[in-house]
Amino acid sequence: MRAIWTIAKKEYELAMRSVTSYIVFVLFLVIAGLFFSTTVFKIALAEMRGVYGFMHLLFIFFVPAITMGSIAKERSSGTIELLSTMPIRLSQIIWGKIVAAFLQLITLLAFCIVYFIIIYILGEGVDIGAAIMGFIGLSLAGAAYVAIGVFASSLPSNQVLAFVIAFAISAFFYVLRFVLIFLPLPLVKIFQYFSFEHHLSNFTKGVLDLKDLLFFLAVIAIFALLAEFNLQSKNMRQER
Amino acid sequence: MIEIKELSRDFGTIRAVDRISFAIDSGNITGFLGPNGAGKTTTLRMLVGYLQPSSGEILLDGKSIFEDPLAASAIIGYLPEHNPLYEDMIVVEALEYVANLRNMSKQFFQTRKSFVLDSCGLREVQYQRIGTLSKGYRQRVGLAQAILHDPQILILDEPTSGLDPNQIIEIRELIKNLGQEKTVILSSHILQEVQALCDRVLIINKGKIIVDDSIDNLDSYLAEYHLLHLELEGENIDLSEFVDYYPEVEIIEQSSVDDHYSMKLRIRGAAEVKPDLARFIAENGWLILNLYTERKSLEEIFHRLTQEPEAEKAEPQDTAIQDEPEPEIAHIQLDEAETDAEVEEEEGR
Repeated sequence: MRAIWTIAKKEYELAMRSVTSYIVFVLFLVIAGLFFSTTVFKIALAEMRGVYGFMHLLFIFFVPAITMGSIAKERSSGTIELLSTMPIRLSQIIWGKIVAAFLQLITLLAFCIVYFIIIYILGEGVDIGAAIMGFIGLSLAGAAYVAIGVFASSLPSNQVLAFVIAFAISAFFYVLRFVLIFLPLPLVKIFQYFSFEHHLSNFTKGVLDLKDLLFFLAVIAIFALLAEFNLQSKNMRQER
Repeated sequence: MIEIKELSRDFGTIRAVDRISFAIDSGNITGFLGPNGAGKTTTLRMLVGYLQPSSGEILLDGKSIFEDPLAASAIIGYLPEHNPLYEDMIVVEALEYVANLRNMSKQFFQTRKSFVLDSCGLREVQYQRIGTLSKGYRQRVGLAQAILHDPQILILDEPTSGLDPNQIIEIRELIKNLGQEKTVILSSHILQEVQALCDRVLIINKGKIIVDDSIDNLDSYLAEYHLLHLELEGENIDLSEFVDYYPEVEIIEQSSVDDHYSMKLRIRGAAEVKPDLARFIAENGWLILNLYTERKSLEEIFHRLTQEPEAEKAEPQDTAIQDEPEPEIAHIQLDEAETDAEVEEEEGR
């Protein structure tokens, strides 16, 4: 556990020192803010669902931007050799990276609490429960995208390529919802289950379903495992 | 005690390390020597458990390092090739990061930190960002990270590559001190380094160990001959009478500008001909401007062992002679031969 925390803490601190993180943050908040102000001030809807849905869309661009360097950078600079000869397991490296990227995402989302406060002050009959549940759901989906991103980052040593791979996998899970209508009925149920939006919608309605929770946790665990296997096979089954 | 048995590693169809076996006792410095691409780094990477061997075993105190890789890496300190570092971190931060990954207690870290900062000479840059450090300091940071946890075994992959001469001396001094208590394995393609540091040398070429011996015995791998450089002044200088008298002496290069002669003699065996030669020259009334023996350098041993290991082992003496150009050819290419010899001599020093 200490190793995971050590890696996560170092990654997070370094990210918070770099300008790129702030550029990503500002871009995200500006775009999300534009959308938020439209729903609240133009359409006069005192709810977060629309914003959450839009932020979910933003995730497939911004989460890969956060995670793309996590392992690819270690590999291109050679520090992966240093890290994987420490007395720690490869899974601890992966989890450290996931936790670090997740903390960055949470920091980013924390700024969005302002939206929540604005709605709470200006709106009437705001569903606080739904807003909080939505926030939790969004964080979970974000964590799943982070796991995908870290896995993608473990594939090439090129960060741009890592971004593209992460974006492609994330987009698959996101876009599923829109292609469902074109599928034959028996397949719809199966593919619907893999759609992030489908699981997230329950959260934003204020409903906590164990199935949705387990789905996101499973996605995180599977991609973390895949990343670990990948790191292992790069060294031809380094057994640790 | 490190034991390596029949260790091999393939990269696709290329066999980088080919069934090598050796054992290293605790408490000495072993040099791993070889040209680029000989398999040094691959072997060291397998030793630290970063690469899985294709076949063979690595035993640490009788136990395979792949049985409990975490325990093995806990007692090994490793400086990878090219010394990768976290450029964005401050020196002390990087040390603390390594300490935490190695699960060191706060107290132990504090004592080790001050030792490492002093012994690696990092005090004055301890709050600098690693990315801003010079190459010498970066190398020291890498070394500091490797020795931070006071490892029993220290594996250094080309620890002095890319450093300037002063820095090389400093780092060598440090390694030498460390080697008094620890088992140190270092790789290098610089022979002087191994000569200056190591108790034992392993020469590896094309994935195979071709020499495994103590550094003092290395000379015996060289065919017994040395070179004598001569610069003389006088009229019609001719050493053929002297050469006829001494069968082990041979003139391999000769050139002259007016009364100024330079020549290169090869002396086979350990015969000391300098006094007789000086007397002979004096008797003829010629003047010696320069007379010196070319040092038998490790370069020569290294070069010849790695270039033609089979031929060398079969007939060391003959190969040695065939290596050199014929005297007549040397005559024609006078100037070139001379400058080459000078360059070689400079490098030898």
